[in-house]
Amino acid sequence: MIDPLFLEGIIKILFVFVLISAGLIISTRNLSSILTSYTIQSFLLAAVSFLLYLIDGKSQLLLLAGLTLGSKVILIPYFISRIEEKIRIGRDIHFTYLEPTTSLMLSIGLIILSYSSLSKIFEGLPLSKLFFFGAVIGLSLTLMGMLVVFSRKRVITKALGYLSMENGVLMFGLFVTELPFIIEVLIVIDLIILVILTTILAVGMDSSIEEYREKVRKLQIWTGGEFR
Amino acid sequence: MNTSFLLFALLNPLFALLAAPLYMSLIRKVKAYAQGRKGPRLFQVYYDLKKLMKKEAVYSPTSSWVMRFTPYLNLSTLLVCSLFVPLVFVPEPAGGLGNIIVFLYLLALERFFTALGGLDAGSAFGGMGSSRSMSLAAVIEPTMVISFAALAFVLKSLNLHQMFALTAGKILPISPTLVLVSISLFIILIVETGRLPVDNPATHLELTMINEAMILEQAGKNLALLELAHALKQFLLMGILINTILPVGLSTEIDAGKIAVSAFLFLLKAGLLAIIIGLFESAFAKMRLFRLPAFYVMAFFFSATTILIEVFA
Repeated sequence: MIDPLFLEGIIKILFVFVLISAGLIISTRNLSSILTSYTIQSFLLAAVSFLLYLIDGKSQLLLLAGLTLGSKVILIPYFISRIEEKIRIGRDIHFTYLEPTTSLMLSIGLIILSYSSLSKIFEGLPLSKLFFFGAVIGLSLTLMGMLVVFSRKRVITKALGYLSMENGVLMFGLFVTELPFIIEVLIVIDLIILVILTTILAVGMDSSIEEYREKVRKLQIWTGGEFR
Repeated sequence: MNTSFLLFALLNPLFALLAAPLYMSLIRKVKAYAQGRKGPRLFQVYYDLKKLMKKEAVYSPTSSWVMRFTPYLNLSTLLVCSLFVPLVFVPEPAGGLGNIIVFLYLLALERFFTALGGLDAGSAFGGMGSSRSMSLAAVIEPTMVISFAALAFVLKSLNLHQMFALTAGKILPISPTLVLVSISLFIILIVETGRLPVDNPATHLELTMINEAMILEQAGKNLALLELAHALKQFLLMGILINTILPVGLSTEIDAGKIAVSAFLFLLKAGLLAIIIGLFESAFAKMRLFRLPAFYVMAFFFSATTILIEVFA
């Protein structure tokens, strides 16, 4: 049996890396690096879930770790990397409203904001410090994902921002509310649908219906052929 | 002042002064190997310093006392700094020595005078280097303060001697947070010593240099002192990082055998760190100057989240 205190220490370190990956999604310009950051973030979440299973022993947490690993670490990143290959956009260098440096400074503010607001909400609840902080990280992750959605210009980056927001919700659920497992499964299915829709939007956002059909045919997104 | 401290005040700066240039060479050697070259000899920096010491100093006609004074001030500041970082053994605390805030201010003093020295010669490059160095310092100094604050918070002391007395001899870092603090300290080490991806120590290309530009006009003996001060700064920052993450072997008693083992182990650990720095430098390309603030803010974000989690969770 591993010492729970040691495991909690490891979870704390993972918290920092989860926040760093969110920071990277906000500030990186290279699309494949953003995707890698998202994959790492999801993997960290799966690891947190697994560690919580080791502490608590609830099999639901283990299932959740497996689900996260399968969908968000393997399936969704695979889809998105396929889209990235097809649309031939390597970088997202345009930002609206906020530059990445400002966004990062703002994120620190957001973390403090979620800490102070949650500490008022959870005042009377018998929640251990680690679990409370997990909720804070979850909420800040959601807010940081929102920051990505509105400060980025490309559809594909916005989608990644949304996915990172969902990671925040999962984190919040892990530490505070315990969502029923079926809802987690539904959320993952939603995410996969989202990614598929993004495929459609990412290649055709700027075109009319006729042009769009032409584009999808040329890029052969659905048939899987090589782009010429 | 007690005898333990007097011995420390004698041994520690001497050890730092003698060993520091070795790691400048070692990093160059590792970089050379990574590029498929053989590289300079391991003691090349010592030979260079000896050669420079014999040469006369040449001054620009527009320069004032600042340029003559800076090399001596820098070296003496860093020698005082070397009293703050226990390398061979941890002495009993004495006076205010070891205070982390004084340490940070001493480093700032050194940086300030290097920048002034760069301006003083009146050449365009020096001014450019100083201007770059100062504007980047405005971003990296908060990061430095926060990282050292995190270190102070985790080890429950403002005094470097007390902090390292707590960690001394342990095989693993005493708190997982120290691993995170060490990553911040590593970034600070890279930035403060002007290494890739921030600044390239091996170039004299006017578009990219920051640190080299400031000492471009210095010659002879003065240049040797500045180079030595730079090596010493790197060695001390390496010392803080090593004592934080891998304090194994650091002695807390005055015993000739233990001190010798401690010094030897320190040389080994510093060698390992120097190899890591060399490989790190080889793996990265120089960043564009205007992208640097984003990198620094990322480091700031990292240390800020570390301290937030350490304090609140």
